[in-house]
Amino acid sequence: MVVIFIVATLVPPQRMDSEWLWLNDLYHSKMFYVLMGLFSLNLMVCSIQRIPFAIKQYKTPSFPPPSGLYENLAPNRIIVTDKKMETVSRAVESLLKSKLFSVKETKLEKGKMLYRESGRLSLFGVYVVHLGVLMIIAGMVIGSVFGLEADLRLSEGEETNIIQLRNGEGEHPLDFSVRCDKFVVEFYDTGVPKTYRSELSFIKNGQVVRQGSVLVNHPLSFDGLRFYQASYGVSEKSRARLTYSNAGAESPEISAGQGDTFDLPVQKAKATVLRVEENMMQFGPAVKLNIETDKRNIQFWMFQHIQDIADVNPGLFSAVPLFNPGLFKPLVFSLRGIEGKYYTGLQVVRDPGVPFVLAGGLILIAGMMVIFFIAYRRIWFLLEQDPAGVRIRVAGRSHRYNEALQRRLDDLCAWMEKELAA
Amino acid sequence: MNHTLILSYVTFIYFASFVFYLFRMILKKEFWGYAASLLAWLGLFAHTLAMMLRWRASYDLGFGHVPITNLYESLVFFAWSIIMLYLAIEWRIKSRILGTFVVPVAFFVMAYASIAPGVDHSIEPLIPALQSNWLTTHVLTCFMGYAAFTVAFGCGLLYLWTEKKETRETNPASHPKENSSVLNTLDVLIYQSTSLGFIFLAMGIITGSVWAHYAWGSYWSWDPKEIWSLITWLIYAIMLHARFVRGWRGRRMAMMTIVGFVSVLFTYLGVNFLTSLHNYI
Repeated sequence: MVVIFIVATLVPPQRMDSEWLWLNDLYHSKMFYVLMGLFSLNLMVCSIQRIPFAIKQYKTPSFPPPSGLYENLAPNRIIVTDKKMETVSRAVESLLKSKLFSVKETKLEKGKMLYRESGRLSLFGVYVVHLGVLMIIAGMVIGSVFGLEADLRLSEGEETNIIQLRNGEGEHPLDFSVRCDKFVVEFYDTGVPKTYRSELSFIKNGQVVRQGSVLVNHPLSFDGLRFYQASYGVSEKSRARLTYSNAGAESPEISAGQGDTFDLPVQKAKATVLRVEENMMQFGPAVKLNIETDKRNIQFWMFQHIQDIADVNPGLFSAVPLFNPGLFKPLVFSLRGIEGKYYTGLQVVRDPGVPFVLAGGLILIAGMMVIFFIAYRRIWFLLEQDPAGVRIRVAGRSHRYNEALQRRLDDLCAWMEKELAA
Repeated sequence: MNHTLILSYVTFIYFASFVFYLFRMILKKEFWGYAASLLAWLGLFAHTLAMMLRWRASYDLGFGHVPITNLYESLVFFAWSIIMLYLAIEWRIKSRILGTFVVPVAFFVMAYASIAPGVDHSIEPLIPALQSNWLTTHVLTCFMGYAAFTVAFGCGLLYLWTEKKETRETNPASHPKENSSVLNTLDVLIYQSTSLGFIFLAMGIITGSVWAHYAWGSYWSWDPKEIWSLITWLIYAIMLHARFVRGWRGRRMAMMTIVGFVSVLFTYLGVNFLTSLHNYI
């Protein structure tokens, strides 16, 4: 009955598992919780039903031995020797003590019984494993009821205290705010990504309380929430870094996005960034500027790799005014680089079930170790006075690995027979 | 010498070893058994050497990581675990009977690694998701589990084969006792290797979820690989419960090892055809 129970409850979740390939959200469905509940209930009922049996087994002392122990005993397990009881007993005892420790002894009418046991506690290993499984399930339920899963998308420099809950459950305000100071992505020479790193600041009451980096595999915890590096991207607005030289003097670097305007030191001119291109006509990064004075408007492109382009196309920049960065005299512009402004996609998680799941996992492993590596074994040596001398009968029981124990006892008997003959 | 070259020799060594185990079984001459074992040990040695060379080669390329980070490396490591576990068992039970059924699996895995399309042999640097100390523990425990299940599968096949042979030889003068003691040993071996695999798979799943907790923000994502490893684990759980509670032995357990092994294969390779977070393996 127990097995039918186990199989009946184990199989449905499995079928459901395979159906996951088509059914997308089964694991958050009520049906799944019901199945998990049934499974846990079954596990508990089975364990509770069987525990008294295990306790009874545990409490049964090794003496008196189970009835029928010496029925059908193989002939090699019976050793008859013509020596005296006293001598045999002492010999057997010392032999056993050299091979197995802590042998107990009980006097009988016709002789005595020597016995030992080990690994009695392993009877409970299976319940430890079941407890572990239940704790994991409990942890999962706690996590899904009290936990929180959200996304957070921050551009470099952006600060927010609102996170977007998963599964379209809306927004969630935090009582602190997060700022992304910088996002870095590095690549190997082969173009494979090497590192994604977000540098975050956590701000409470206008003060930066904590700063740190979030990397894949290295989340950051703050105020009970864990922040994970999940994705990244480039914001639509790229910024150009440019300078101009005025009669040999280089200006400080200016950072400007598309549509930004900045003042120039001559003719009360204003420069506006019209376009920022990552790769203009296969010539690399380029920016189109509009310079406006009281009198006129000048537009031209400036390329970052102007020297390389000029080397390949001599005279291009003087021949085409639109490509001449020195068109607005006396200034000569140069483009230092374009920065795509990154945003970082963070996953924000709170899962109070984790400690339960972890503890459950550890308990599970410990219990399995007990079950599979420790066996409850008992062995009995019955020494009886016999017309022919002393008869020794050897028997053993193990609820697991019985075959191995029997083989060991066979070896032990052969060895004892040889020793006693000597 | 180049590690790829050594590994292709290793593939042939395993094949030769399998052929010798087969000779031993058919010709019933222990000489072939010695030769087969010797070859298997030689193969394991060369295999280990090749993996270490590959490891060092990854450092020479400037990034350096354990050679268990893509499908090719995992297949090579899988074959290594199978042979290592098999030889340990052969040494412990002092019998070469299993070789014919386990060593060919290692050979097939190696052959698949070298000829299957889409198995990339190159050493690649680690993407950010794999840059974790949990990688080694997770992969090691999972593949030890798979290897133990493979050995159990070999035992299961041998069990069914022996049993069939026994029923065919209805002649009572043949040695039924000898065969039934072989069947007993196999039954115990099935149980032992299954429980070993069961523990390793449990540890693999748990280390995996600890890693996922750091990498993916959740210890369990219902990823196809995760689900199938759980299914595999449950199949073996049912099998062990059937033994403890129902007292299943022998043929039924042997059948279960085959069912379980199919599930292991699907978990390992089949899932790759589905969209999965685990798509680097």
